[in-house]
Amino acid sequence: MRFGFSQIWRWPAALAVLMAFGLLSALLGQGGVWWVLSWIALAVPLLVIAAAWQKRRRPVESRS
Amino acid sequence: MTRSAFRKWFWVHKWSSLVCTAFLLVICVTGLPLIFGEEIEHLLDTDPPYASLPADTPNANLDGIVAKSRQMYPNEIIVSTFMDDDEPKVVVTMAPSWEAFKANRKVAHWIKYDARTAQVIRQSKPLTEESPTFLGLMLTLHRDMFAGLPGELFLGAMGFLFVAAIVSGIAVYGPFMRKLDFATVRADRSPRLKWLDLHNMIGVVTLAWALVVGATGVINELSKPMFMLWQNTDVKAMLEPFKGQTTPTVPEMSSVQQALETAQAAVPNMRITSVVFPGSQFGSPFHYLLWAKGKEPLTSRLFSPVMVDARTGKLQAVVEMPWYLRALEVSRPLHFGDYGGMPLKIIWALLDLVTILVLGSGLYLWLSRRTSPAAEADTELVESNAGAALAVSREAAE
Repeated sequence: MRFGFSQIWRWPAALAVLMAFGLLSALLGQGGVWWVLSWIALAVPLLVIAAAWQKRRRPVESRS
Repeated sequence: MTRSAFRKWFWVHKWSSLVCTAFLLVICVTGLPLIFGEEIEHLLDTDPPYASLPADTPNANLDGIVAKSRQMYPNEIIVSTFMDDDEPKVVVTMAPSWEAFKANRKVAHWIKYDARTAQVIRQSKPLTEESPTFLGLMLTLHRDMFAGLPGELFLGAMGFLFVAAIVSGIAVYGPFMRKLDFATVRADRSPRLKWLDLHNMIGVVTLAWALVVGATGVINELSKPMFMLWQNTDVKAMLEPFKGQTTPTVPEMSSVQQALETAQAAVPNMRITSVVFPGSQFGSPFHYLLWAKGKEPLTSRLFSPVMVDARTGKLQAVVEMPWYLRALEVSRPLHFGDYGGMPLKIIWALLDLVTILVLGSGLYLWLSRRTSPAAEADTELVESNAGAALAVSREAAE
């Protein structure tokens, strides 16, 4: 199977939009909930990295 | 994307990255403590604590603090006074003369006062004799690598290459992912393939942040030329009517406290944080220049200069900042990450760390390459994407 443009960019684009929102919400929002939303939005990409590392295809011998 | 377009983008990605990587690694490492600069500074602060006074204690008269400073150093000039907005302090900066200060800003020294009691808390030595602080060292490495303005422009160019590497990275990302689910890390084959997947995954996941911090970093490196441009155009035009006048001497100068009150009345919704004295290259020869800023999270990053005639004490103007300096002001928090409390700083630090991984893995992928440069781009693809490489060539033929 080959992935097309939209399939390849669906998640990266969503994460980029989320990050842009996170960067701006703390700057333009008046503290409080906007800060919390910013922390969540910017933490999601870091969690994605952690999850991708957790789910990495490990060598056969170390698989349980 | 055609095969030749892929090769071109790959070439841009490879060379823009290779040229800037070493510098970007230094910038990322030194940037890490700078994110927590305020906290580190407080931790290392050895100054005696402020007198505990009721919260509504009014500030001492600025004229008294200025007179006291002049008494302590009768042969020196006052460069500026800084009124902090999160600590009750006033810092008076002095120098032997304007000529000496213009030749080398480090001849200046400062006196820190309690803003309410006007008692001296601490004095610095001339900055030429002060030993560099840890944070000062980090900032110099981060901003100009001890090379002043040329260093700033050079690192600005490296930042531009970093942005180019991100954009070209976006362009070459697609062909690598034709047969791969998003965020797949193939750690089961070769270390090279594992690091390629990590490089692509972390790079694409953090690209919005990296683009913003990279681009705002470039803007910050251009701050000196932008201020010079402003002074040589808008400020010059504003001072034109005063041509031929001399800079007022101390007895000729009107009250600083009065200037502060006059300026405050002109910008009632702003907070005045500093006064630049007449004669400074960062102000006017004939005016007190007072920097006022807003009180909201965003407007507190936007400064407006207020000019008060230093002889008559009359309000001269509330100056409108040009668009490029506004852009610089907005770009600062987006680069520093200091606008959303401690959690945002921690996120900033983690994103900085994973950027180091992207830079390091990119360097590793280049160092561990095994083929001639011409075939490199294709090899990268074939290795990552065996079946799809065929599709790329088929697409090129279409």
